[in-house]
Amino acid sequence: MIKAIFYKEWIKTRWYILLALLVSLGFSAYAMLRISRVCSLKGAEHLWVVMMQRDAIFVELLQYVPLILGLVFALVQFVPEIHHRSFKLTLHLPMRATSALASMLSFGMLMMVLVCVPALMLMWAYLQSVLAPELYWHVLLSALPWYLAGMAAYLLTVWVALEPTWGRRLLNVVLGVLLLRIYFLAPAPEAYNDFLPLLAIITLCYSILSVLSLTRFRDGRQD
Amino acid sequence: MENIIECRNLTHYYGKRLIYDNLSFGVPRGRILGLLGKNGTGKTTTINILSGFLQPRSGECYILGEKIGNMNPLTRRKIGLLIEGHVQYQFMNIEQIERFYASFYPNWKREAYYELMSRLKVAPHQRINRMSCGQRSQVALGLILAQDPEVLVLDDFSLGLDPGYRRLFVDYMREYAKAEDKTVFLTSHIIQDMERLVDDCIVMDYGKILVQMPVNELLGKFRRYTAQVSEGFQLQNTDGIYNPSVIRQSMELFSMLPEAEVSARLSLQGVADVKVENVGLEDAFIGLTGKY
Amino acid sequence: MFKTSKIFFCLLLLFMMVWQLPACYNFFVAKSVDTPFTLYSGIAGEFASLKLDEDKKMHYRDASGKEYTEEQFDSILPTFYYRQLVTDGRFPDSIHGVAVTPRQVQMSNFNMRISPLDLNKPRLGIQQMLESMSGRVDLELPDDAFRITSEGMEFVEMETNTIDRDKSARFTQMMKQKGFQFPATYLSGNPTDRKEYDEGYVMLDATKKLFHVKQTVGRPYVRAIALPEDMTPKHLFITEFPSRKWLCFLTDTDGYLWVVERDSYAVRRTEIPSFIPEEQSMLIIGNMFDWTVKVNRGTEECYYAISAQDYTLIDSMAYQTPRYTIPGLSFTSTKDKFVKPRIVR
Repeated sequence: MIKAIFYKEWIKTRWYILLALLVSLGFSAYAMLRISRVCSLKGAEHLWVVMMQRDAIFVELLQYVPLILGLVFALVQFVPEIHHRSFKLTLHLPMRATSALASMLSFGMLMMVLVCVPALMLMWAYLQSVLAPELYWHVLLSALPWYLAGMAAYLLTVWVALEPTWGRRLLNVVLGVLLLRIYFLAPAPEAYNDFLPLLAIITLCYSILSVLSLTRFRDGRQD
Repeated sequence: MENIIECRNLTHYYGKRLIYDNLSFGVPRGRILGLLGKNGTGKTTTINILSGFLQPRSGECYILGEKIGNMNPLTRRKIGLLIEGHVQYQFMNIEQIERFYASFYPNWKREAYYELMSRLKVAPHQRINRMSCGQRSQVALGLILAQDPEVLVLDDFSLGLDPGYRRLFVDYMREYAKAEDKTVFLTSHIIQDMERLVDDCIVMDYGKILVQMPVNELLGKFRRYTAQVSEGFQLQNTDGIYNPSVIRQSMELFSMLPEAEVSARLSLQGVADVKVENVGLEDAFIGLTGKY
Repeated sequence: MFKTSKIFFCLLLLFMMVWQLPACYNFFVAKSVDTPFTLYSGIAGEFASLKLDEDKKMHYRDASGKEYTEEQFDSILPTFYYRQLVTDGRFPDSIHGVAVTPRQVQMSNFNMRISPLDLNKPRLGIQQMLESMSGRVDLELPDDAFRITSEGMEFVEMETNTIDRDKSARFTQMMKQKGFQFPATYLSGNPTDRKEYDEGYVMLDATKKLFHVKQTVGRPYVRAIALPEDMTPKHLFITEFPSRKWLCFLTDTDGYLWVVERDSYAVRRTEIPSFIPEEQSMLIIGNMFDWTVKVNRGTEECYYAISAQDYTLIDSMAYQTPRYTIPGLSFTSTKDKFVKPRIVR
């Protein structure tokens, strides 16, 4: 049954997943291209020195890419379910509603990983050819909270999308925006290193919020 | 007779607006029950409660002996649900949606679905959101037939269908339910369709049930009385009389009382030349609930 | 599951309240207290300050309340306002009986800021060592960078991203020879070409021993610096001031500030009362006679005057800086560059 849910989610989102993968890889490739241009114009030394002296990480343009990809992914996956309230069909399937939702969220998270990891791998592969480990880990660890933000944006958007009433949905949007701010507070690169494991756990916990929306949907809450 | 669907003492409000208070009804095995009511009398509310998408303020509903709030998910295999407007997953085509549902139902009847689909003039890869409402209704019907549930809950199956598709749906459903001894609970806003389809009906008014009986019995008993009266005539003793009205000098009223009793009551009040006629379900519905 | 999600949602609301409400209050309501700009005047023999008062006029006073004109104020702080005095033709021939020139004053003046923000931040672990005796007037950035591992010092050629084994071995060997135990536990250097001279790095080794390491004509220069027995160094601050008087400042585990003199490597304790460098910021404005030391101790802004000759405490004062903020949850802090949940006051 979980396989069938995955099949449904795949049909719904496959073109978006392809697009998201291209966008994610495209942005990373563009960031790497810019770095390689710095290297060819001013030499790798310049790159190193700027990173060591000025806290530069050269990939700032990737900051909001995972966030937007996650947010849109949740919409692509769940708007067809809310449209005409066809989520009722999913809830009527002969499986526990929470299992159905968990399968849908697992699919989403899995696909987000599928979209994000190649981008990180691409950066890792290129950066390690021109930078010392200290420097490329500096870049990757600084970018990691942005990718977690992508996951959080996905889970929080699902929570908002499934919520049946507009009043509560608005509250959820406000809370969601505040929660997403937490991923973009870095005063310096690698500022999240100690917090990352806890932040990852908190991020996963956001998935439980969707159960609240699901229950409210099933109880027929209305404005 | 065992009730496949059983609702006891349902009470529900939207905010402070009472929808109904202490509503109880049951649907025995093999019967097709239609819920009739004007807009806002709680038809969709009842369907939502029955299909588990609304928690009533109080009261309980059972389907196949299981309470709806904590039903074993596998029991839902035996319940077919048609959502208002024949909603199905819009992003799938007819093959994908069949493949999707098949894995949830061990007794999936693939042939039943494809037999119906073969009559539709749609390409196998045409997505459902590109189909007309009529075509969608056939897909939804085909899926229910393939699921082969014991109980069917159909929410306003006539919405958006042209007369041809409506007739197709009604005939198909009637034949299927009778042949396979299925229990059906349905609503529709087009009453003529119900007349061909349902065995029993519940007619709802705001906050209460007006009538709950087999359609044949209702149509047998329910009569329209018309007569000429003087302007300003007011009918006395209206027990058992539904919606008496006087427009200029024409009086109209409905009743389920024996014809002789109504005629006697009218002649006592000086009304003569009373015309009596049996009516169809639609007129009976209007007679019961009024035009307003 | 529903219960869990409801509990989680309530916790979320609670968390939002302890995070956002104090932050909003502190942002809109709480005001910081302005303290006047204050320096120790050796001529007046006490602290002197200037402040924009409520009458929107600048007021110049000393600690005993005596008012000065702007010109008088320049005169009692001749090392700080030497440029103004030179422009006005009022620069004195001698200060405290010592003959001085503007050039001498300029060379001996220094500013030093020790901020928690600079101590509590992620460290990169790779940095550059300049050539401190290239024979050229201007410093140049090297084409390699180094890290210190538990094995030794490792120089990496930046252009090729490869390790320069020879140079690494030379430095490692020399350091080991001088008693350096790898890995280093603290490094302080200022690898920039925008300074007058280079002193490389001061480092603490694995056993908290202090070393001076620099590169002279491509060769390692390593010097162990003897520390007093009962003192354990904690933070190092290379100075590289124009006066070339000191190699570095350092703080010990008790929070005292020490200086290491450049020529003699003598380590001397200043009489600045102890402070907590990880939480309190220190600003030193020094001249050839005395230092004005400002320490932000939270609800108090303390000023100390220190003799530039023997580092004794000459005078001290404090401004009260009560804060009207309410404590709450925060992810960032003015005292570090990390993001993590913590309660701030």
